[in-house]
Amino acid sequence: MAQVKHEDLPMMSGCALGRAIAAGEISSVAATEAALARLDVAHERTHCTIAREGDDALAAAKAVDAARAKGAKLGPLAGVPLAHKDMFDRTGKIASWGAKIHAEKPATSDATVIAKYKAAGAIQIAALHLTEFAFGPTGHNYVLGHARNPWDPTRITGGSSAGTACAVAMGAIPAGLGSDTAGSLRLPAANCGITSIKPTWGRVSRAGAMPLAACLDTLGVIARHVEDLALMLGILAGPDVRDPAASSLPVPDYLAEMAAPVKGLRVGLDAKVAGEAHADVQAMVEAVLAVLGKAGLETRSCQFPDWMTLDHLAQAVQLPDAAAAHAHWLTTRPNDYGPQVRARLEIGHFISGVDHMTALRARGTYLQRTLDQTFKDIDIAILPITADPLPTIAELDVAGSPAVQATLGRVVKFCRPISYLGLPTLTLPIPRSGKQLPGGVQIIGKPYTEGLLFRIGAAYQKLVPPELARPLEH
Amino acid sequence: MATAPIQPADPSEPAAYLEMPPERRAGAKVHAAMLSATIKKVAAEVPFQADVDDFRRVLTAGVK
Repeated sequence: MAQVKHEDLPMMSGCALGRAIAAGEISSVAATEAALARLDVAHERTHCTIAREGDDALAAAKAVDAARAKGAKLGPLAGVPLAHKDMFDRTGKIASWGAKIHAEKPATSDATVIAKYKAAGAIQIAALHLTEFAFGPTGHNYVLGHARNPWDPTRITGGSSAGTACAVAMGAIPAGLGSDTAGSLRLPAANCGITSIKPTWGRVSRAGAMPLAACLDTLGVIARHVEDLALMLGILAGPDVRDPAASSLPVPDYLAEMAAPVKGLRVGLDAKVAGEAHADVQAMVEAVLAVLGKAGLETRSCQFPDWMTLDHLAQAVQLPDAAAAHAHWLTTRPNDYGPQVRARLEIGHFISGVDHMTALRARGTYLQRTLDQTFKDIDIAILPITADPLPTIAELDVAGSPAVQATLGRVVKFCRPISYLGLPTLTLPIPRSGKQLPGGVQIIGKPYTEGLLFRIGAAYQKLVPPELARPLEH
Repeated sequence: MATAPIQPADPSEPAAYLEMPPERRAGAKVHAAMLSATIKKVAAEVPFQADVDDFRRVLTAGVK
């Protein structure tokens, strides 16, 4: 039986590693030890780890190896080391939420997504960095320290799921959980040169996850390989009595859907919206479109509803929603917040209830308009994720300045409107060459078309294979 | 350098209960007003019967 070489582990997908463990080509203990060692390297470079959980992880890995030796039926991720953003309830543990303020007592049950991963046999080796309360798109965290980009530590990772993106990009883990309220799965994946799925709002239960703005919060996965996103969304999606917003629609076999052909599918570009990005970012979109063209997709033009209106609607939903969740702590413990999150939470208190409700009442109208008009003649749309080429940590170190919302607004301007519409998006890393910094764009589907996005993403990765982050010297 | 204590906001101010320096309070008001101007236009075109639950209905309506 062929054995997995240790040097091959960082690039292996979770699907492949799960198969190798099941076939006895590597033990879970060996895979977990290697993952922990790589996580240490990743943390040294990027500050990605909040809690390293080596003892627990190795005990769980030994249990998987023992179960396999006894011939027990194993889950699809049995023995695969993963790590997740530190915002999920886990029995007996207190999640940091990336903040000074957090739950006072350990959780008494697992978040639904954690429970589903456990049932599939996955192992958690660490809890990973996030922006304070997952409220920030850059990876800055004024409480725990900022995350650093694995390709160039002077640059931002994007946030808020920064630690997951760093650990995946550096090959410590094949995949991990993140959340996305206004771009937090897409921005770090794009900036670290990997992929992510932000599913349709409601596709994955949020029970046991730290809320930011429940009207928009969406849990998803960051990975190097699209096949891992497909496998893992299939595991995580589905109804949940603990989250009334979790959809009861059937969960497709995403891996099977991924195999279908993509020739003739139509991808729409709203040139006016995309044209608001920096020229280098527009070039990223063109580069990805060229690859999709090689894969057989046809480019069409499309038009989203007025983009600034969508962005303002998203803010009128998000800011009061987050402010309400934090209202008690913001008035009783304001100095326990970092300056940026505090300043942004405050703004929500200035938005009227009428404006908030109007934005919520208009959401169905704008989604219907998008489906009827934007998607009339296309299967997916494509847009930038970032407005500008990868900024440095210093350039976006705006803390709690009065300009914070405007500055960060440019960072999320291509993400937040899609969150308002609740649509699924897949991050595609750009075809990168030489010393080019990483980047990514988003392809956007109609509701519950994650399978189509994976199909296109898999075709894309045949032409633009995943790569590990490595230091770039300029 | 010592930071000057923040003077309490005028009780008639929105969110007067928040301890905020004047420049941040002014910035928050400006930002909220900018959003409000857009939303007033939206309010004029959203159907009177529109409901917050419309979003979930539309999200699932076209799923095969």
